[in-house]
Amino acid sequence: MVLAGGAGAARQEAIAPKRHIVEMSGMGFHPDTLELRRGDTVVWINRDIVSHTATAKTKAAWTTGTLAQGQSGSYVARRKGEDPYFCQLHPTMLGRLFVR
Amino acid sequence: MSPLKPWPAFSLFLTLALSASLNAQSTPPDLSDPEVANVAVTANNIDIDLAKLAESRSGNKDVKRFATTMIADHGAVNAKASALAAKLGVTPKDNAVSQSLQKGATEARAAIEPLKGKAFDKAYIDREVGYHQAVLDAVDNLLIPTTENAELKKLLVDVRPAFAAHLALAKKIQSGLPAGK
Repeated sequence: MVLAGGAGAARQEAIAPKRHIVEMSGMGFHPDTLELRRGDTVVWINRDIVSHTATAKTKAAWTTGTLAQGQSGSYVARRKGEDPYFCQLHPTMLGRLFVR
Repeated sequence: MSPLKPWPAFSLFLTLALSASLNAQSTPPDLSDPEVANVAVTANNIDIDLAKLAESRSGNKDVKRFATTMIADHGAVNAKASALAAKLGVTPKDNAVSQSLQKGATEARAAIEPLKGKAFDKAYIDREVGYHQAVLDAVDNLLIPTTENAELKKLLVDVRPAFAAHLALAKKIQSGLPAGK
């Protein structure tokens, strides 16, 4: 199938990886739920006085590692589906990625 | 920015928190800024010291992890409080409340330290639940509403969620611990 140049450019733009920011503040993730596409990057920034992590709850583990106040860590979403995560240091802090 | 008060509310908060958790005092003393700074640092250090004992002694991974988090978090709060005190030109000074805090902590440690296994874990977590609840009650009902210095109030507002998270986590661990003997 041959696409017109304009439509192809529009599609290219539509699937270009995006960068999403999640703030860690007040002992929570903001936003705590994020919809994104495979290949998108999520960046967590710690605004709290205490340190945090963003760590996958599933076996295909990923983690930002420990982030002190002002530090940030990122993860590129590679797997489709729901990907719940938490702070290893404060397990009552929960977040969720939905990767399309 | 509002001027720095002599921190009477902070003195009251600490005293009530102590009386609730440690049966220390019932009448708030009139502390100077340097004395209050010393109390704040002492209060954090006490929780850190007990957490160090729990971290090395407990065989329960949840209790051990909680203790590690207390060391890190109260250390971070202590660093912020110390930095603020330095910025405000306050040099911590020993006082009766700090001494009472330390005395209560020594007694609590003496009661917990000889315990072993599940009894140790339960005694440690029970104390952490009581301690954090008392601090939160005082922060909510006394300290934040009555503090006028903007920087001090902001610090209290900023650390409040951490205390609440500590309490929630301590309660969750507490509910999963068997009665220790």
